[in-house]
Amino acid sequence: MAEGMTWSVLDGDKLTQAEIYGKVLTQLGEKNDKIIAMTADLAKSTKIGAFGDKFPERFINMGIAENSLFGVAAGLAMVGYTPVVSTFAVFAALRSAEQVRTDICYQNLDVKIIATHAGISFGQAGSTHHCTEDIAVMRSFANMTVIVPADGIETGNAVVAAMDHAGPVYIRIGRGFEPPVNTTKDYGFQIGKAVTMKDGKDVTVITCGVCVGQAMRAAKVLESQGLSVRVINMHTVKPIDREVILKAVVETRRIITVEEHNVMGGLGSAVGEVIVEGGKACAFKKLGVPDAFAIVGYPEDLYNYYKFDADGIIEAVGALMKKEIEEDENWDDET
Amino acid sequence: MADRTQLTIRIILRSILPLFKTLYNENEGFYKKMLGGVDGTIQFSVKGTDSGAYLDFKDGKLDIVQGIVEKPGIHFAFKKPEDLVAFFTGGVALPSISGLWRLRLLMKLIPLFLGLLLLMPNKQPRDTATRLLKVKLTMYMITNALSQLNKGGDEDMAAWTSKQPDRIYQLSVQPDGPAAYLRVKGGKSKSGHGVYGRKAPFMHMMFNGLDGAYKVLAENKETVQAMRDGDVKLEGSPEYAGSMGSFMVRIQNMLMPAK
Repeated sequence: MAEGMTWSVLDGDKLTQAEIYGKVLTQLGEKNDKIIAMTADLAKSTKIGAFGDKFPERFINMGIAENSLFGVAAGLAMVGYTPVVSTFAVFAALRSAEQVRTDICYQNLDVKIIATHAGISFGQAGSTHHCTEDIAVMRSFANMTVIVPADGIETGNAVVAAMDHAGPVYIRIGRGFEPPVNTTKDYGFQIGKAVTMKDGKDVTVITCGVCVGQAMRAAKVLESQGLSVRVINMHTVKPIDREVILKAVVETRRIITVEEHNVMGGLGSAVGEVIVEGGKACAFKKLGVPDAFAIVGYPEDLYNYYKFDADGIIEAVGALMKKEIEEDENWDDET
Repeated sequence: MADRTQLTIRIILRSILPLFKTLYNENEGFYKKMLGGVDGTIQFSVKGTDSGAYLDFKDGKLDIVQGIVEKPGIHFAFKKPEDLVAFFTGGVALPSISGLWRLRLLMKLIPLFLGLLLLMPNKQPRDTATRLLKVKLTMYMITNALSQLNKGGDEDMAAWTSKQPDRIYQLSVQPDGPAAYLRVKGGKSKSGHGVYGRKAPFMHMMFNGLDGAYKVLAENKETVQAMRDGDVKLEGSPEYAGSMGSFMVRIQNMLMPAK
């Protein structure tokens, strides 16, 4: 059995990503009576039910009708409310893609989407409930902001920041069993500004979501092997922090992206676009779910299977370090 | 284990002799006037070995070439390796000089040869231009000598470089003064002039202007104290800077053994 499942039980009193957003949203609801919480029969699973318990008059359960969920949210936003919609990522990003795109993004409406059980965090539920395409879909919608928090604390920060941000925001979280990587909320979270978790000169790991913790564990091992590893938490995939990426290209010239998403169209693609447009060469590797539907299993086992857990990152860094990135292999001293 | 004398000769021939070129180019007007029209070679070698390098003057340009040239214009031949080391490190060892019939040329070269004395610790010029030249020569010499220590087979240096991915060790005088770097990658090394532009340094020793650089590189102040006083700032791993410092001391001891 994967350790992650045990962890979630033993540390049940610690707040998970979903629990934190439920609490934060409830607190925000006390100050802002324009917030309307909405879901499609997933109040308990997504934890948005906490808001409904406190403010039942501002809580809407649409039933199993995701398309209507987002359509109604758009309507509420048009008359001045701030709907916060929560459902599984696979329903928000895929089943309701048209409503999110046309009803919400096209009109640049103030709807906040908190999509849970993203990636392969719903491992045992199978491919129908995995969502390894949502970052690709959501970041392709004009006006949409896409945030992938690393842990509960960052999720709380993301929810607060999203409320202050005009326009649609997609916050992508897992099932709620993600180990914490932050110990304080005051680290300067800002939409569009990546967090450098650790500086390094040899290679940069750019990651988001649950993979941030994996990258930090990998970096620790790699440091003990003499490598200097930079770890960047790219919590906002759109708009992406171009500056921090281009700086890493110039300074380390080796970049690995790690994400719990299909390697096509997600964080790795977004980072790759910035690198190509930047015009400076580097060695580059994307880690994530390959171009396939993920197999079924515990999330931690799947991270290992697809080699984007700490062990996979260590292996990939080793391979990337051996890649030649300079044409100039003249080792004569300059005199 | 690498032979210490051979390593020292390697550093002298490949790291110190090339500084003639820097000296020549830095004061190009003066030397060109002095040596204009001179074509010829000046060989330094150890008798009975292939250890040697020569200065090659051609069309108003100077190059330093490693190896032995046939029929050099002037030939400084040392009886044994230790003599070459002593000659270049302030000891007493006179080479046999052939080609003395070109005495006039030799006399013209003396200012250039004396220019290298600027590297000696007791040479403390007062004017800014000469201080800057001393800093530049020292930086070039240090980075090149470190690379030669590696290429020459110093076991500790080889072990140090072999474990490292592509890394740049940069020295620079801020904001836009002279700079030099050592590039290391999987046991290979390369020294270069200026700022390495393709990758940020793994370790960067930044001197605070000429004054900051001069204090440290002319050995007027200990590096640690200089860091405390803001004369030099180190960016990057202090552990690796420490290792590099140890290798620099090793080179210094080879070139300037305690009397």
